[in-house]
Amino acid sequence: MPSPVLKALPSRVPLSRARRRAVVLAAAVLVAALLAVALVAAFGGGSSGVTYLDSTDTAVLYASGHRPLAPEFSSTTLSGAPMRLSSYRGKVVVLNFWGSWCDPCRAEAPALAAVARHYQPAGVSFLGVDERDSQASAEAFVRNYGVTYPSVGDPSQVIALDFSAVVPLAGTPTTLVIDPSGHIAGAVFESATYSELSAILAKVTGKGG
Amino acid sequence: MTDVRAPQTDPFDPAAEPGDSPRPGPASPAGGAFGLSGWLRWAWRQLTSMRIALVLLFLLALGSVPGSMLPQQGNNPSGVRQYYASHPALAPWLNHLGLFNVFGAPWFAAIYLLLFASLAGCVVPRTFRLAGSARTLPPRAPRHLARLPRSAEYVTTLPPAEAVETAARVLAGRGFRLRRADSAVPDSAGTEPADAGAWVSAEKGYLREAGNLLFHLALLGVLVSVALGGLFGYKADRLLVQGTTFADTASALDEFHPGRLVTAGDLGPFTITLNRFDASYIASGPQRGQPSAFDAQISYTEQRGGPARTGHLAVNRPLSVDGAKVYLIGHGYAPRFTVTDARGQVVYDAPTPFIAGPSGNFLSEGVVKVPDAQPDQLGFTGVFVPTAVDVGGTLESVFPAADNPVVSLIAYAGDLGTDSGVSQSVYQLDTSGMQRLTARPQVLQPGQSLKLPGGRGTITFTGYVPWVSLAITHDPGQLPALICGIAALGGLLLSFMIRRRRVFVRARAGENGTTVEVGGLARTDASGGFEAEFASLAAELRAACQQGRHPLPEGE
Repeated sequence: MPSPVLKALPSRVPLSRARRRAVVLAAAVLVAALLAVALVAAFGGGSSGVTYLDSTDTAVLYASGHRPLAPEFSSTTLSGAPMRLSSYRGKVVVLNFWGSWCDPCRAEAPALAAVARHYQPAGVSFLGVDERDSQASAEAFVRNYGVTYPSVGDPSQVIALDFSAVVPLAGTPTTLVIDPSGHIAGAVFESATYSELSAILAKVTGKGG
Repeated sequence: MTDVRAPQTDPFDPAAEPGDSPRPGPASPAGGAFGLSGWLRWAWRQLTSMRIALVLLFLLALGSVPGSMLPQQGNNPSGVRQYYASHPALAPWLNHLGLFNVFGAPWFAAIYLLLFASLAGCVVPRTFRLAGSARTLPPRAPRHLARLPRSAEYVTTLPPAEAVETAARVLAGRGFRLRRADSAVPDSAGTEPADAGAWVSAEKGYLREAGNLLFHLALLGVLVSVALGGLFGYKADRLLVQGTTFADTASALDEFHPGRLVTAGDLGPFTITLNRFDASYIASGPQRGQPSAFDAQISYTEQRGGPARTGHLAVNRPLSVDGAKVYLIGHGYAPRFTVTDARGQVVYDAPTPFIAGPSGNFLSEGVVKVPDAQPDQLGFTGVFVPTAVDVGGTLESVFPAADNPVVSLIAYAGDLGTDSGVSQSVYQLDTSGMQRLTARPQVLQPGQSLKLPGGRGTITFTGYVPWVSLAITHDPGQLPALICGIAALGGLLLSFMIRRRRVFVRARAGENGTTVEVGGLARTDASGGFEAEFASLAAELRAACQQGRHPLPEGE
């Protein structure tokens, strides 16, 4: 069927070499960009102003100027007293998110109690935020571990929600160290150890631990 | 890639694909000196060829097979543990190959990234070419129009230039794009000097190229949408007991599968409270026990401190909140227990979600852990029976509604294993460090207590509340993918249904007046519609010349 005339029909002007190269280049750039996005997504990137205190990246210090403002909350403690975070303004506060059901919280509880014994005389305040817990279980935990500082109840986890907007709060337990101006100066995003917490507190209070 | 077009014999395909068909020359690296750039170009051409794209697509399908045959870490971690237990030699090897986490495995990522590159590398240049061809002028008229598939000839008294002009007006009126002798954009082959005769080329059906272009752009859009969903979407599950509230934050979710670029701070700041859950069941007949309706009454806030709204959740009626969709995917019973320890302290007082087992009628199993009981930790395994009937000494549930609820408990004391810091399942009791306190399961009705032997305390079954499980999904690529899918379909239909067709008109002065030749050809003229169209067009052209004829003296 294709007659000689049809074959002789002037076909489309082929893309010039330069133009084709430009097209290939554009495609290559697009693919490279996509790969770059995928790589960044896969390996993440650190943000400035953050110092990791250990190899597992769970304990961090925020440099001054890079400290997120701790969101205010008001709640009631397990013993029924009203409590606001802002009432601690002017003091260094260790804020510990915990739950009696949470096994890593049980593992860190003795270390946390020891840190509290050491730093409370130096003027550091400790406050617990009890996540998704029942009153009876939380009280039993506090009795059992001899926790001396107050905890506010957060059964619906709205306090955790507010904090997760400013720090990568991915689960319970998480321990935050808040400076006297109400900014978050350090964090342990896992079960905290005595050495991690005392290292952060030594920096934030400016006193050796 | 999925272009609709005749093979390469097609004389005037403007979007001929160099990568699709084997070509002589530098398409293969076998011949001649081939530098690094040559190899790269060859590799790129291979990668973006249809053949490789199909191979990758096949590999993608093949690669997902183990994902559905083997238990996956993401959605079935206990299945993986069971597999390890039953295949201790094989399981570590499978794990090395990433077969327990197929969709996160590097080799799987390699396949889909290559497929993505292949599709993008194929579609992007083709899009440029299609955009170019949608703007091209028709080619110059061939010399011998009678050799075209369709041709006609008539004689008119109009001079050649006017005959062609008349034809051009008719063709333009029919929506053809024209190219005239004087609109001479020089061809690549140079101008044809002897071709000064009157002619016009006309082409119609460029919408086909627009459809093709739309299809390819939409295909790219689908790819980008899917990538968007994978990078910025998330899936999560949460069990919510009636009367409680949860906040959409990573630590409050039971299962959380974020996209690659989702961080905990990206979750919507909404909260949902389950005010009440009702399930009704068919009470009689052969369908007895089948669910007839579910209704979860909820209240929710989209923003912290924002107004609380109320709503209902039912199966397949999700709630849209803050860009996420919340689905009701399951429900069950949470019996409520109060436990006092040996010292008389209340150490547990909470509803405890039990999960329906395989035996039906919501016979549910669960675990109560009391880690802070003194002097020893306490643990209970239990069965909740919503409508209990004693059948030969064993309890059976005969109806899914809680008409005669009882629990049956086995009590343990000792070490729950919770203080090592390794997270346990809340639905399993590790009794390896515990001593069984009751020889036989103890059956309790609401309000009844079980005194633990040895003065270790009591457990009271105080009642029950329902729970629901919610699936929260956020896929920002869903709507764009739908729109692009529809656009791709529309483009495909356009490119299927519209034919590119060309009509050429040439006029020559002859002895008996002006001879006008009309030739036409259409591509992919499977339906044969062009024959009729050409015939009517030729007739119209002839008629137009008749009308426009100058009155000539008789007998000339």
